[in-house]
Amino acid sequence: MSALAFILAGTLAAATPLLLAALGELVAERSGVLNLGLEGLMALAAALAFIVVYQGGGHALAFAVGAVAGMVAALVFAGAVLTFRANQVAAGLAIGILCLGLSALAGRSFESLTITGLPKLEVPLLSDLPTIGGLFRQDIVVWLALLGTLAIHVMLRHTKVGLIVRAVGENPRAAQAIGHPVIPIRYAALAFGGCMAGVAGAYASTVYTPLWADGMIAGRGWIAIALVVFGTWQTGRVFLGACLFGALSLAELAAQVVGVQLPSQLLASMPYLVTIVVLGLISSNRRRMRLNSVASLGEPFEK
Amino acid sequence: MNTSRRRFLSSSLAAGAGLSLLPRGALAQDTLPMALITPSPVADVGWSHTLLQGAQAAAEAVGGSVSMLENIPEGPDADRIMQKAVAEGARFLIAGSFGYQNGALQIARRYPDVSVLHASGYEVAPNFSPFAARYFQGTYLMGMAAASLSKTGKLGSVSAFAIPELITSVNAFALGARAVNPDAEVSVVWVNSWFDPAKEQEAARALISQGIDVIFSNAQDTPSVISLCEEQGAYAFNLNSSMKSYAPSKYLGVVGTDWSPFFTAQAQAHLDGSFQGASHWLGMEDGVVFVADWNPDIPADAKTRIDETQARIADGSFSPFAGPLIRADGSQAVAEGGNLADDAILAMDWHVQGVVTPLPQ
Repeated sequence: MSALAFILAGTLAAATPLLLAALGELVAERSGVLNLGLEGLMALAAALAFIVVYQGGGHALAFAVGAVAGMVAALVFAGAVLTFRANQVAAGLAIGILCLGLSALAGRSFESLTITGLPKLEVPLLSDLPTIGGLFRQDIVVWLALLGTLAIHVMLRHTKVGLIVRAVGENPRAAQAIGHPVIPIRYAALAFGGCMAGVAGAYASTVYTPLWADGMIAGRGWIAIALVVFGTWQTGRVFLGACLFGALSLAELAAQVVGVQLPSQLLASMPYLVTIVVLGLISSNRRRMRLNSVASLGEPFEK
Repeated sequence: MNTSRRRFLSSSLAAGAGLSLLPRGALAQDTLPMALITPSPVADVGWSHTLLQGAQAAAEAVGGSVSMLENIPEGPDADRIMQKAVAEGARFLIAGSFGYQNGALQIARRYPDVSVLHASGYEVAPNFSPFAARYFQGTYLMGMAAASLSKTGKLGSVSAFAIPELITSVNAFALGARAVNPDAEVSVVWVNSWFDPAKEQEAARALISQGIDVIFSNAQDTPSVISLCEEQGAYAFNLNSSMKSYAPSKYLGVVGTDWSPFFTAQAQAHLDGSFQGASHWLGMEDGVVFVADWNPDIPADAKTRIDETQARIADGSFSPFAGPLIRADGSQAVAEGGNLADDAILAMDWHVQGVVTPLPQ
């Protein structure tokens, strides 16, 4: 297998945890709330989902448990920032750190255990192609994540629900004036975001890397948040960013194996650098940037 | 007062060395409270696990007790936690990571009656000793086994950071492999992270995709690489403690560490009042480094050769870094008949011939 085939085959799976978490965060931020606790939410869901699979509960239940865990944690955060109007940055960090601690506690007696992941589903014919064939051999969650990306894009852009969520994030006062309940809508958006972070965490610990080790999310929650910002709150760009990041992080490893004469520290920083530069370039039009950014992001709302 | 208590201890313990058969109550007032601090949580496998086993064996042997401080990030928090352990009575501290060096050294200076062992550091004080394992003795043997099993002659390593200790292990792995198959090549992926299981697995996948069929999981505390190799059909081995259960058919073996003899001797020295700060670099000759759980696929003649080499390493008649030793750039590091000195091994920042990946500078 060529290095290129290796990168193509692995990109989507590497991108999926980032993509799922970033899509959830995208919806939450579109409604005007910044949730910095993503890393912790993913870790907590990852720990609980791993335990479910390890105890024989199966992957479906594991993903459900992960989603619920993410949602509950996000609702705690929502209560703090929406009902009690706490500072979003501080509350997000606090919930994130709390959930990281809880994940370590929950996973304590499961440290360094392994499970079996999910089988790959193939697209007939296409998966037999040379080099790019691997692209069409993915587990079911990857396929669902692709569908989900499309669904969220359509939802935000072309449906009434999406319009309302965006209006609430753009100008909550105006949205309130025409009869949209801002606070409940933000609750719902945060719950959805938590759910997606939970699914992302469950994917990380039960499919992508089917083992549990404290700290295994290793910064992916933060990358997801960065992807939303650098993707200027647009589904397509967030998807592009996640894939780019996934591909480059594999390219870094492949480059070392084939013996590219570059220092590995430089290669290791490539995914971050290139993703930022590319997303920065395609979002560099300042007028459009202002048009796309969420006007009320991070501001508390009072009736 | 403390010294007299220690003298009393030493006399009573010297009289009954190995009196672990005595009921614990008889030794109750003789206990040596020990504290072990590690950066990762203690699992069933890995670095922290082997340290804890060693500390517990030492405690058992001298009639002490161990309080375990696990999952403590290196930094000011660790300093505070070590302080607290000593304030609460710990008199023998094992600091299980390089990053604890400054905090642990401060404790040693402030409390002269506390003895400190510190993993992989370089500072020495009268009551402060760094310790490390000569893993390279074992990885050399693993290289021999790997080359005897590899169909492609291409071997790989997933390594954390390009620091001398890890480079040394990779170099010895390559030298061992080339002792069996002179054309064997070793590719290394430096993941530039101590801990990212997902990245470690992808690195192993990248190696396997290039035809590499034996992988050395260098300094990974989780079975990330080992379990992936089992799934993908590549042989794999790791350091510290056996992960055979994660790869029942493809586990090449383990370069293990057993710290109990060293910790026991040091704890005993502390009780005797004869603890002396010194740098301890321990290998097979000290009973600290061992190899085990060999894969039954290894051909019998190769296994015989490995056993012979192992015996020669253990009795000191052979070093993996014996001359002639050629660097990856073609220059000669050691001439025929010579041996690379310990200082040079400890500071190794070059690859030997046979390692094909360039070294990060």
